[in-house]
Amino acid sequence: MENKLNRYEKIAFLGEGQFATVYKARNKDTDEMVAVKKIKIGSIQEARDGINRTALREIKLLQELKHQNIIGLLDVFGYASNISLVFDFMDTDLEVIIKDTRIVFTSGHIKAYTLMTLLGLEYLHDNWILHRDLKPNNLLVNKQGILKIADFGLAKTFGSPNRIYTHQVVTRWYRSPELLFGARKYGTGVDMWAVGCIIAELLLRVPFLPGESDLDQLTRIFQALGSPTEETWPGLTSLQDYIQFKPFPGTPLKMIFTAAPDDLLDLLSVLLCLNPCKRPNCKTTLKMPYFSNRPPPSKGSQLPLPSNLLDPEISQQCVSTRRLFHANFLGNKRGKMIVLNC
Amino acid sequence: MPGRIQCIQENLLGLSWHDSAWVPMLNSSNVLEYFSERTNPFYDRTCNNEIIKMQRLNPDQLCNMTGLEYILLHVQEPILYVIRKQDRQSSNQTIPIADYYIIAGVIYQAPDLISVINSRLLTSVFHLQSAFDDLFNMMQYQPSKGYSWDIKSQMSTTGIIKKDLKEEPSSNFQRQRVDMLLMELTRRFPLPVMKHTASESKYSVSYNFRNIVSVENPLEIQSSRSETTPPIKTEKIDEIVSIKEERSDQIITSPSMKPPPEKKSRLN
Repeated sequence: MENKLNRYEKIAFLGEGQFATVYKARNKDTDEMVAVKKIKIGSIQEARDGINRTALREIKLLQELKHQNIIGLLDVFGYASNISLVFDFMDTDLEVIIKDTRIVFTSGHIKAYTLMTLLGLEYLHDNWILHRDLKPNNLLVNKQGILKIADFGLAKTFGSPNRIYTHQVVTRWYRSPELLFGARKYGTGVDMWAVGCIIAELLLRVPFLPGESDLDQLTRIFQALGSPTEETWPGLTSLQDYIQFKPFPGTPLKMIFTAAPDDLLDLLSVLLCLNPCKRPNCKTTLKMPYFSNRPPPSKGSQLPLPSNLLDPEISQQCVSTRRLFHANFLGNKRGKMIVLNC
Repeated sequence: MPGRIQCIQENLLGLSWHDSAWVPMLNSSNVLEYFSERTNPFYDRTCNNEIIKMQRLNPDQLCNMTGLEYILLHVQEPILYVIRKQDRQSSNQTIPIADYYIIAGVIYQAPDLISVINSRLLTSVFHLQSAFDDLFNMMQYQPSKGYSWDIKSQMSTTGIIKKDLKEEPSSNFQRQRVDMLLMELTRRFPLPVMKHTASESKYSVSYNFRNIVSVENPLEIQSSRSETTPPIKTEKIDEIVSIKEERSDQIITSPSMKPPPEKKSRLN
């Protein structure tokens, strides 16, 4: 334990949040950059349980996962009553890139981000894991242009037919209609819906459905996509929190995403399908023409980086204020719910 | 790819588009927006302009992108705007792809040179072909007489005469306009004074020209003609008349009955 602690040399403070403090550090053995997430000791109640629940989830799941597009958990060590998780160091996240108005996304960029997200997610789903909190700032990007899915604090295994899940997952703007209607049995569709919202955000550069409450979220979904009926979505009315909405006709996606090519609109229309049973899984999605049509996805080196990473001087100034791991590792409060029945 | 481009061009060159709601308020600041209307068939919505617009970014960033874009190339308020579709290679290098002109709110694609030449060539060949087809029908062969022309019977059966009568006369505006153009042309390119060595082809050209003009304004021509042409002219007309008299004395009895050449060409 002692030598593990000394293996990492603290370089910079990256951020602090409700559950953890994150430092940028260097592995003295290999000389590679890492992110060390030091879990805070929580409330007395939590301390009695032994370990913070989100940290436990991350350790439990990430230890067994290894994929190019999944954040790598390199090491875990404890010191005194602290526990620290060591992750791949990532330079930025997709939310920062989306918000940088100096960046213009080409079709190739959008395809590359979509592809990497879906490849990572396919691996997760293949291993019977639901991420349940996909959003741009949980998609970390490094200087090599590789996107990795991070923050497994809400992730959970799925597949047991009779297990009841909480519907209070996923940041509201990326939450699928079945979750908003209180569905307790759901599957990969919740992650697919979130991917649809993320692609939409890449196209529009603002959140596609920024609901201010759960009710407003549903209203925005139906305004954009049309309201579902028992015909289009069998079983809809028997969902726990189902409420009747006034019928909206919906807006054609073509009118919302005016510059999107048809193959991308096809992809969006299936990912943003209101009926979760009609939403395809990652494997089917990746076989859609969008991914084989021109233009090809941009190579990692061609992907844009936020301006604070391009200029080393500015980068130095911003290092402490940079959002970087902020939201991902430190428990973003924006609408995220903590799962109680895990 | 080449086949696809050609197909698109063929479709678009015959098209025009307008939105009458927009027409009264068109100006140089909103004409690109008018052009980017969803229903405009000339607008490729995957262009950089639309990407910038969809991503809610500053339009100045267009110059930093590469690929397809539209720019306002020329403005002649209040009636004419020219929009160019171009492929941007870098911030200071672009390759023009097509131009579109908006006259009184109606958008057309400006044809490229090859389409114009192709179209004109095709029209010429078509008319030549039709002339040969017509002539071929008038040809007769009898073992006793050999080859001969049968213009009279063919004219009446194919209804060429009737067509002639039905043809709309040129408007006053057209006649004045043609007069004006021809006078301008003769002023700018005065006919060379014919020397005794002048080739026959030159004569025939001047003859044709004269014949066209004479329909419009005979007096004008008479005064401006060089003295060497009249014998040629009469000779040629005599030739024609003699042929026609031989076969169709009832229909064409004098040169003045002959329809004007310019009209004939349009008829076909």
